[in-house]
Amino acid sequence: MTRVGTDVLVIGSGAGGATTAALLAEAGRTVTVVEEGPWIDPGAFEPFSLEEMARTYRHHGSSAALGVPPVAYAEGRCVGGSTEVNSGLWHRLPAELVEAWRRDYDIDEFTPDSLDRHAEALEAALSVRRLPGDLPPSSAVLARGAAALGWRSVEFARVFRYGPDGRAEKQTMARTMIPRAVAAGATILPGCRIDRLVTRPDGPGSRRVVAARGRRRHDDGSVGDLVIEADHVVVCCGAVQTPALLQRSGIRRGIGRGLKLHPTVKIAARFPDVLDHDDVPPYRVTEFSPAVAIGGSASRRGHVALALADSGVPFAGALADWERVFVYYAAIRSDAGGRVQALPGLRSPLVTYRLTDSDMSRLARGLVHLGELLLAAGATELYPSVTGGPVVRRVDDLGAWWDALTPARANLMTVHLTSTVRLGQDRTRTGADSFGSVWGHTNLRVNDASLVPDAPGVNPQAGVMTIAARNAEHFLATT
Amino acid sequence: MDVQAPETAVVTGAAGWLGQNLVRDLLADGRRVRGLVRTDEEAALLEVAGRAVETVVGDVRDPATLDRLFAGAAGATVFHAAAVIHPAGRTRELFDVNVGGTALVLDRARRAGVHRFVHVSSNSPFGFNPHPGHRFTEDSPYAPYLAYGRSKHEAELLVQQAHDRGDLATVIVRPPWFYGPHQPERQTRFLAAVRRGRFPIVGDGSQRRSMAYTGNLVHGLRRAEVAAAAPGRAYWIADPQPYELRAVLDTVRAALRAEGLAVTARQPRLPAVAGRVAVRVDTALQAAGRYVQPIHVLGELGETIACDVTRAVDELGYRPATTLLDGMRASIRWCLERGRAL
Repeated sequence: MTRVGTDVLVIGSGAGGATTAALLAEAGRTVTVVEEGPWIDPGAFEPFSLEEMARTYRHHGSSAALGVPPVAYAEGRCVGGSTEVNSGLWHRLPAELVEAWRRDYDIDEFTPDSLDRHAEALEAALSVRRLPGDLPPSSAVLARGAAALGWRSVEFARVFRYGPDGRAEKQTMARTMIPRAVAAGATILPGCRIDRLVTRPDGPGSRRVVAARGRRRHDDGSVGDLVIEADHVVVCCGAVQTPALLQRSGIRRGIGRGLKLHPTVKIAARFPDVLDHDDVPPYRVTEFSPAVAIGGSASRRGHVALALADSGVPFAGALADWERVFVYYAAIRSDAGGRVQALPGLRSPLVTYRLTDSDMSRLARGLVHLGELLLAAGATELYPSVTGGPVVRRVDDLGAWWDALTPARANLMTVHLTSTVRLGQDRTRTGADSFGSVWGHTNLRVNDASLVPDAPGVNPQAGVMTIAARNAEHFLATT
Repeated sequence: MDVQAPETAVVTGAAGWLGQNLVRDLLADGRRVRGLVRTDEEAALLEVAGRAVETVVGDVRDPATLDRLFAGAAGATVFHAAAVIHPAGRTRELFDVNVGGTALVLDRARRAGVHRFVHVSSNSPFGFNPHPGHRFTEDSPYAPYLAYGRSKHEAELLVQQAHDRGDLATVIVRPPWFYGPHQPERQTRFLAAVRRGRFPIVGDGSQRRSMAYTGNLVHGLRRAEVAAAAPGRAYWIADPQPYELRAVLDTVRAALRAEGLAVTARQPRLPAVAGRVAVRVDTALQAAGRYVQPIHVLGELGETIACDVTRAVDELGYRPATTLLDGMRASIRWCLERGRAL
């Protein structure tokens, strides 16, 4: 049995948790961060490798939201959370969405200007910048195709530092916010899973968290009970685990519904020339945003093989030529919503997501747009993530994808899960107030992707960290 | 004040109900038309309209088809009339054609560098009027009705975005239920049902309905093509005033008689609740992606769908000339001339 007492308990060490911990610790609060996954030294694994997936992802990288079709997703499970395993892409929340969310969810002090102030500070701290030098070939494909079709496109920044030798180092939470938190006196406890929060009545219609209970895996491999008593608890376990923990703790109102994600289709595209494969292209096509976003995916040999296999057609020739194959994606903003439900006796919650007809149509459109772009960029063969293909070699073949992309044949994935709690003063649509305080609780907050009210249409890391920094500042000013 | 219309017009949905009327009107003015049609049969039917019509056969969702449609179309006007209203069974087709097709046509039009993009929308992005005296204006808020309404709403947003970011000079035209020659089978069945006393009034029949004679609508589209004030705007285009639904049916009966047909005076009625039940059933079916046309139509029959055409009159110089009676008579004559059983 381990007993810990702390001022602030932060559960989860990803983009939301690490940011919260660093800002609160630097303001002089006593902060303890618990993380279910292990501490992994940054750079210990080849980025996007299978070994990395096995060690740092939940379920070794293979989770799926149930529905027809199912949507595969991935979550980090290590100190630093998904920032350790993602591509480090940095997109501020689109201003028009911030405005719409403020209106729709009645969110106090939620304006593009107020968020930009936090975003700027984070960008300076994280070293958000563009790739030095010329576009790598995999990005140049997107730029070339967009130029040929007259489509808007943009090179974007990432959270990377570049050494004098040109070596790139992703500025994950384990390299940035976690060390800052530790330097300011925070305690990081890896290998700690919180199973439930214990709450007691605290005035009329209100409860407070008195303890967090869970299990701790010690360095020697032994496992023991863990109890943490804290004045304040901030849950930052991501859009799947945060609602699951709250539900297991008996907190259900407004929690776990409204899951949003970006359903994504892919194309493995073969080119006449060899492309780079070490990195994800920091370039995207915005012509059809926010409905459809187009960009490049991790394309090491294994990724190429998986993407080719998703087409369900013979691909040995393309795989043998994998250095000339790269994987590109089209991701959509979806009309559907999903649900996270903690089930008694099971460690993992049930995640369901049912795509609408309009979503399936938008995915088909994304596939056609992406195919047209890649052909315009000189691709010779396109393998879509649709079982049975068909493989496309010229523009005349593209139209067949509309009817090919059906719920039964589409192979979809996502990495952006959000919106299972949602912030705002409209209590009928949110699980937490404008600054992440869980309704009906005096000392319980959420501060992660769960709060983002709807799918942002872009990689959410910047939005999650920006909202987390904003809420941390509010916490310090009011508590 | 008008701008000069270019010689060529690109018309999608050219073999459709509206498309046939529009193409003939353009040809009569000496314009050249390049029309998108779905099949060789449709192409043959359209080509009899005149020598200045050229057809492209294919699917509006198909990039290669659209490349052919827009080859050398620089400076032309685009009339985007292709859409699905009543899909065969599943709602997915509404989004594929009405949203996906519009996105692809907008992109081709931008690349070709066209004169104007006149988009045929609908009343469905606006749902039902809150009470029978209410009229939609161009400032009414979106309230899309079911899958068709959502698909046409999303298409309007794409068209407006194309204008607002400087890609194209667009004009959105919103016609309600239209009537006139070249009508599809479902409208012929409507006339026959009224004639034989089989078309029900839901409720007391005082719900209002804006309707647009195809000739009036074509006039509105042609004004949208040239009116200087039109780019970036949306317009309701309909007959000058909405009608009570019972008056529409009375006028159809009068038109049938005027064309020499015997008409039963019987008017079946359904309680208003039947319409409300149909709306619920339709909503549940469409939530599962299913579309059943008679239920959908019944659901709309109990409601008021009425618009105000003042902005079109003021800004486009829209002057609808054909009355409901004359339009219905033209529609009936068109059926009789082609031996359609009414």
